[in-house]
Amino acid sequence: MIQLLANGIVAGSAFALVGLGFALVYNTTKFFHFAHGALYTLGAYLALFFWQHLGWPPLPSGLLAVLLTGAVGWLFGRFVFQSLRWRQAGPLICLLASLGTMIALQNLIALLAGEESRTLRRAAVIEGFDLLGARITQVQAVIALVCAGLYAGTWWAISYTRMGRSLRAVANDVDLATVVGVNTDRAILLTFVAGAGLAAVAGILVGCDTDLTPAMGFQALLMGVVAVVCGGLKTIVGAAVGGLFIGIVQSFGVAYMPTQWKDAIVFTVLILFLIFRPLGILGSPLHRAAK
Amino acid sequence: MDYVVHILILVATYMVLAMSLDLLAGSTGLLSISHAAFCGLGAYTSALLATCFGVPFFIGLLAGMAVAALISFIVSLPSLRLHDDYFVIATFGFQMILFSIFNNWIGLTRGPLGIPGIPQPILFGWHVSSRLDFLILGAALAGFAYFVVHRIISAPFGRVLHAIREDEVFAKALGKNTLYFKVTAFAVSAALAASAGSLYAHYITYIDPTSFTVIESILIISMVIIGGAGSTWGPLVGAAVLVVLPEALRFVGLPSGVAANLRQIIYGSLLVIMMMFRPCGLVGKYGFSK
Repeated sequence: MIQLLANGIVAGSAFALVGLGFALVYNTTKFFHFAHGALYTLGAYLALFFWQHLGWPPLPSGLLAVLLTGAVGWLFGRFVFQSLRWRQAGPLICLLASLGTMIALQNLIALLAGEESRTLRRAAVIEGFDLLGARITQVQAVIALVCAGLYAGTWWAISYTRMGRSLRAVANDVDLATVVGVNTDRAILLTFVAGAGLAAVAGILVGCDTDLTPAMGFQALLMGVVAVVCGGLKTIVGAAVGGLFIGIVQSFGVAYMPTQWKDAIVFTVLILFLIFRPLGILGSPLHRAAK
Repeated sequence: MDYVVHILILVATYMVLAMSLDLLAGSTGLLSISHAAFCGLGAYTSALLATCFGVPFFIGLLAGMAVAALISFIVSLPSLRLHDDYFVIATFGFQMILFSIFNNWIGLTRGPLGIPGIPQPILFGWHVSSRLDFLILGAALAGFAYFVVHRIISAPFGRVLHAIREDEVFAKALGKNTLYFKVTAFAVSAALAASAGSLYAHYITYIDPTSFTVIESILIISMVIIGGAGSTWGPLVGAAVLVVLPEALRFVGLPSGVAANLRQIIYGSLLVIMMMFRPCGLVGKYGFSK
């Protein structure tokens, strides 16, 4: 019971991080950023390359991978999204452009790194420790802690810094933000970079616990999206609540039903939410205006 | 020659899928990511009826269309309460659930093993067996779908769909029951997709869930948008281009080890370039630019 809860929380914290990055981009730009999933994969593979191929120590390789993925996020924002925005393309056009980027990027990774599954794990799995009756490995504890820390940091930055305020202004109303002198382009590019960085961190962390495949980003993206929709797409804390919720639902669902129905359970929950509570657990009509 | 005919049959099948999705996405403005699932419903219904009960092709085809139309109510009634992106996400969820059912309900669909040995169709005494026969059947189906979609679009019914696309509140204000129109359009679109699935199942004589994934749904959407959503010829052009292009890239002489990935990279990049420079599609006018 507690074990299931712990597994759910570990998986859910990664969903929350992916979801947070997705929600950042979604709220400022209002389009469905498919390439977010590919950036998640890219981060994990870059870390793999620096760490295992070049033999660098883990922390610098992880950091460099995150920075490089952030740079790729910037490239997408600058050269694809902004030129679409100048042409006044609708959200569906941006969605397809992002989808094309995801397909290209994912296959580029497969081409360079091979389709077979790889892993960021180094040594044999170290026996975990007990925490309130649940058995967790060190890696899993690190995943949960780093996710929580980053999440709190992002939340603080959005809520209390000047840059965060301009992000919220752009999310609320782009034109109005421009009128009052917010550098809209810079704010949007910042969300692309931050979103990509968060995706990369999540990818690297999950890669330390499970295997890497070039196609893994898509599944992660789906879970992240389900998490933010269930938690509340328009709130900052929504992704965290939704991610933990989905992680726990999935972990309990797998315990009481055959494993292969995992996806079906998660997406049924998503549909129930869309029908009965489309603003998410935390969303209230007020949040439409507030965030 | 056989190869060319095979490609043409695939083009015809995808044309049916793209046209039926365009009725929803282009004409009504509802972008659904569950089209491959409806195609799968048609394929599985008629394949199961044919292999388990020996039901003739034509009955199986109709049954598949009926099942897809029925399921479409379950999908569309809740989804249509939502707007824009939320509608897209809801249909996306249904696609994942239906795929999960194809893949995991082993007792009915045999799961990942698929259903082999689907008999070739016999239509009113005409045994459809050679590739050329299938091409004729596929072309007939595409012609039928074109006729249906075209009639709907040019009828007053289609004008209401266009009105919903442009401004739903306004259509409501004119006294149109927009939910009825949207649900009907969804059902017609699903039934046509199912007919394409049924034809595909009887042509390949084997189906498994991997043919009906969300990636396939996205491919159909790309066809509609690359061809030109909301135009008569757009989906046809899009289907032809996106089926022929990857096949043509086979002959460019890419090294075989990397060919599959390279093809996907080229396809993805083309999608991006297309969206940046010609967002209305190759022959379209209406460019989702709301």
